[in-house]
Amino acid sequence: MAKKKKSLLKLFLLLFIIEVIIVIISSGYNKELQIGFEKGKFLLRNIEHPFNLQEKITEEFQIDEYYRQKGIEPTIYGSKEVYIFFKNTFGKENAISSFQLIRMLLIVDLILLLMALYIRRRLLSRPSKPQILFEMIYTALEEFVVETLGKQRANYAPYIVTLFIFIWTCNMIGLVPIPGFMEPTRNLNVPLGLGIFAVIIVHITAIKVKGVWGHLKNYVNFVKNPLFLLDIVSELSKVVSISFRLFGNILGGAIIILVVSSLVSFVVIPVGLSLFFGIFIGTIQAFVFTMLALTYIGVEISE
Amino acid sequence: MQFTLAQGIVKAAALLGAGLCMGMGALGPGVGEGFVAGKACEGIARSPENASLITRTMLVGQAVSESTGIYSLVIALLLIFSTG
Repeated sequence: MAKKKKSLLKLFLLLFIIEVIIVIISSGYNKELQIGFEKGKFLLRNIEHPFNLQEKITEEFQIDEYYRQKGIEPTIYGSKEVYIFFKNTFGKENAISSFQLIRMLLIVDLILLLMALYIRRRLLSRPSKPQILFEMIYTALEEFVVETLGKQRANYAPYIVTLFIFIWTCNMIGLVPIPGFMEPTRNLNVPLGLGIFAVIIVHITAIKVKGVWGHLKNYVNFVKNPLFLLDIVSELSKVVSISFRLFGNILGGAIIILVVSSLVSFVVIPVGLSLFFGIFIGTIQAFVFTMLALTYIGVEISE
Repeated sequence: MQFTLAQGIVKAAALLGAGLCMGMGALGPGVGEGFVAGKACEGIARSPENASLITRTMLVGQAVSESTGIYSLVIALLLIFSTG
């Protein structure tokens, strides 16, 4: 066993040294090997490709601005009609970025749907491995729900579990090394939508528990609570804080990964950065989002 | 790209402001999160059987106290990308 580990370590060291040498050699040339098909012909050539960090950041995070600066005619999959449709729907500034966002959200939804169908098709009393995994996630989160809201409100568990799995998948999909794959939560619209929905559910729960007048009494009671306007502001700030936290963490992580890995010419370090900012921060933030939504509901119930 | 003097001053001030915003905004969350982690360590040392509950509460608390740092990050990004 120890011998195997040692030889693996040697192999890894050799690969690392080779990669460093390749990077050092190639960094002087600013050239890139291009392999592919163009107009039906096989293509293999060296193209001039000077790396520009500012341009790369603009391309990654403001794709429409990038096309405008470069003066390229913007198309989606080479199709002008699709671009014009998105331009008319979302405006000139957000056409391509909205397309990318919708594409990533659909991919995430497809993954979740396929996973649910696959696991649901073969539910067994002696569970298979994926079934055990999902039952573990479900029971752990359901336990939190029961602890916070009480046993008679365990029917909130499906919402909480869906929230967690959706946000977690959104954060993890940025790790897939395919061009154009990004975290949907990097766009502010997704966390904001989730946050608004969570706060709406909080208020629906409060109305269900205390009645319409009983809930409104907290806000329009002038005698007891003269600063009731601040309460309304605090409700709005719940949405802002819960959604901006997720958005800022994911966007900041993505920018740091891009900038630092371009500083080290994309050698090895990006793996560690992706481990920390992708997996660790992504999981923690998904967990924190669900826990905060749960806590907001719990506070309204306990009063 | 050609700048007029006024645009240059605005751009420079925005970049400087972004750096200051991030640096000062990171102070508070750093102190706060360290404090929370230290207290959680004490709690786990005192009662190791509650470790999972303490860790969970610590993570949520840290995330809440981190939010001011995240706001400053958002403001810094706004300053960098939307000015000039």
